[in-house]
Amino acid sequence: MYAIARPWEPQSRGLLSGLPLPLLILLAAVILGAGVLAGADVIPLMPARAVAAGAAQGALLATAVAWAASGTPGPAPAPTVAALVVLAGAGGAALAPIGAIAYLAAPLWLWRQRARLPGLGLTRASAGLVLAGAALGMLLGTHLLVTASLTLGYGVRAPRLEQLAPWLAYDIGGNVLTTEAFFRGALFDRVQRRWPFAPGAAVVTAACLVRYLVDPLLPRSLEVMAGAVFYLTLLSLGACWLYWRSGSIVPSVAAGVLFFACYRLLHVVQ
Amino acid sequence: MTVTDVKAAVLATAGARVALSCAAAVSGITAGLAIADVSPATPWRHLYLLPVAVLALRRGLAAGLLAALGGALAFGPFVLREIEGHGLTRAAIEGGVTLAMLGVTGALVGSLAAAGRRQRERYEMLRAVQRVLAEAAPLERGAARLAAALARRLGVDAVGLVIADGRVVAGADGLDPISLAAHVLARRRPVFVSDAGTDARPRRVVVVPLTSGRETVGVLAVERLGDISREERDALVGLGAALGLALDNTRLAARQQSFAEELEQKVGAATARLAEMDRLKSGFVALASHELRTPLTALQGFAELLATRRFAPTEVQRVAEIMRAETERLGRIVSDFLDLARLERGLPPAIRRTVLDPGPLIAAAVDVFRRTRTTHRLELHVDGALPRVDADADALDRVLKNLIGNALKYSPPGSCVRVRARALDGVVAFDVDDEGPGIPPDERARVFEPYYRVRNTEMLGPGTGLGLSVVKSIVEAHGGSVRADAAPGAGTRMTVMLPALP
Repeated sequence: MYAIARPWEPQSRGLLSGLPLPLLILLAAVILGAGVLAGADVIPLMPARAVAAGAAQGALLATAVAWAASGTPGPAPAPTVAALVVLAGAGGAALAPIGAIAYLAAPLWLWRQRARLPGLGLTRASAGLVLAGAALGMLLGTHLLVTASLTLGYGVRAPRLEQLAPWLAYDIGGNVLTTEAFFRGALFDRVQRRWPFAPGAAVVTAACLVRYLVDPLLPRSLEVMAGAVFYLTLLSLGACWLYWRSGSIVPSVAAGVLFFACYRLLHVVQ
Repeated sequence: MTVTDVKAAVLATAGARVALSCAAAVSGITAGLAIADVSPATPWRHLYLLPVAVLALRRGLAAGLLAALGGALAFGPFVLREIEGHGLTRAAIEGGVTLAMLGVTGALVGSLAAAGRRQRERYEMLRAVQRVLAEAAPLERGAARLAAALARRLGVDAVGLVIADGRVVAGADGLDPISLAAHVLARRRPVFVSDAGTDARPRRVVVVPLTSGRETVGVLAVERLGDISREERDALVGLGAALGLALDNTRLAARQQSFAEELEQKVGAATARLAEMDRLKSGFVALASHELRTPLTALQGFAELLATRRFAPTEVQRVAEIMRAETERLGRIVSDFLDLARLERGLPPAIRRTVLDPGPLIAAAVDVFRRTRTTHRLELHVDGALPRVDADADALDRVLKNLIGNALKYSPPGSCVRVRARALDGVVAFDVDDEGPGIPPDERARVFEPYYRVRNTEMLGPGTGLGLSVVKSIVEAHGGSVRADAAPGAGTRMTVMLPALP
């Protein structure tokens, strides 16, 4: 038993300690630069958005890797590499839509580094919890499809593979993976070790909502923003609960991927 | 299938029925609102609160939140459609507030219901703990049962108990000196650690001191992968006080029982010893009367003979010699009584020490017996020159004569009694060996007790049972020792050791 048989010393690590600040500043400069260049019409808007989103997601993954590496004995992967892997995906997407397939490099890289990042939640979860995550994603996604098609003036379509594959690759490698790695595997992991579940999940969900609401790829209409708040709040709370129960980001990644896969089936009905 | 399994199945069935009823209610309300095509500000929207509150009340926080999620998913589209059609209108805001209220209701009612349930569980836990503590069992077994009961009632992963002396009675094999339990044991304050260890899930640890009055009698440690709420922690602190008292009582009861058993044994032994002493004293009184009367009778008879008849001078000398011997015997018995009286008052025998050479003293004592006891062979061996001793000559003479007299008394006629004197390392040792029946090993120490006589030796000769106890007291008063052993071959060897002068 830990309390009796193991040595104990009080921990005094801060909640946000171990941030890779130089790298984050550099990535912020990339985001700013993309915005400025797009504003000055030096580069088109869509590639600029893709690069900015990639830099932001790279920052999330790099921070998650840096935090996970700070508690790991022995050599750990460099956060810079994590950011570059995500940026490579963003670069691919900026060049051509099918180039977003390059986002799949991020999960592949993380999977190879999982043994060196034990604190990131890249562990196996029970099949039941993975199924629960998938069910949550499907439930929210299906609800989104029904609600949007019935009320919001959106339609549901069956996209062609060459349309769906880049989006899926982006969601898996850029959107969901970086979000879950940072907000669940890193931030919620630290928060849950300090606070009870409810306040911890509330804080992380609020932070997660901010991340999506400032995402340049999110349409700026009121109903979409309201829908995003509604669905992402439920998705984030569910993901926190899944991480709380499993200690793994696999169930929440399953939930996020399925939810966003449903989201990609929507299109605006003119 | 056990009773517990049946109970769990019934509860699960009841829970599923409640959940299905609530799901049906949410579906019904949604269908009604959809058919009526109402705005999200319709008063009927409050109907969603009903199944949320019911499920939260019946099944707690998680069920309340799930019901709120269901209600929000069902009512959300009405709000989103209003926002899409008319923007952020008052109706949309009211609908949004209703969505938030669903979550708040589910969380609040669920929390209150869960708190009530936890309170009940705490009472049940205390009752379970009291039941375990009420069972008369040794501390270790009682603690193991207690830990198991607590783990079951609290739904935690591990429970440990450490007693104030650092002994771990449940939860681990040993106490790490810098562990959390050792820290709490030293500081006597409860400690909550929100994360311990390196598990994927946070391991919460609560360690509370077990107190009895102002004393800390141990610590209780509880670990869980997951939350330990503030209420649970407060309950554990309260439990620590109750457990401390109970453990202290158990410890005191065990100590009292052990003390009572020890006392009973001591009283039994003392009673047996007193009975034995009483028996020996009674025997002694009878024996002493006989021992005193025998020489007195002889003296009286010979005195009357001398007074009433005329004897030849040689005969008078013989009678006088007999009277002298009987007087000497009488004197020895009286001296023994006097020494015994001093011993029983806790005083050493009265001795007057002088520096003397023990060799001539031994030779004289042996010579006396050689002249008067011709029925035995009496041998004297002195190994080299003996060092001088600081002793009372008369007392030492009594010791030697007592030992030689006993050896002669308990040896068969014709046998040999050997007296040996030698110098050892800083002492002078005297051995008196006889060829008598010997002393059983279990009685060798007891022969030096007052009144004690070796079993089945009464027929071998008279005696008061005081001689050896007087010998022992005299020898010890000289700073020496005396012991009884088996002689080589057969018989008894009595050995006296006296400190030699340098």
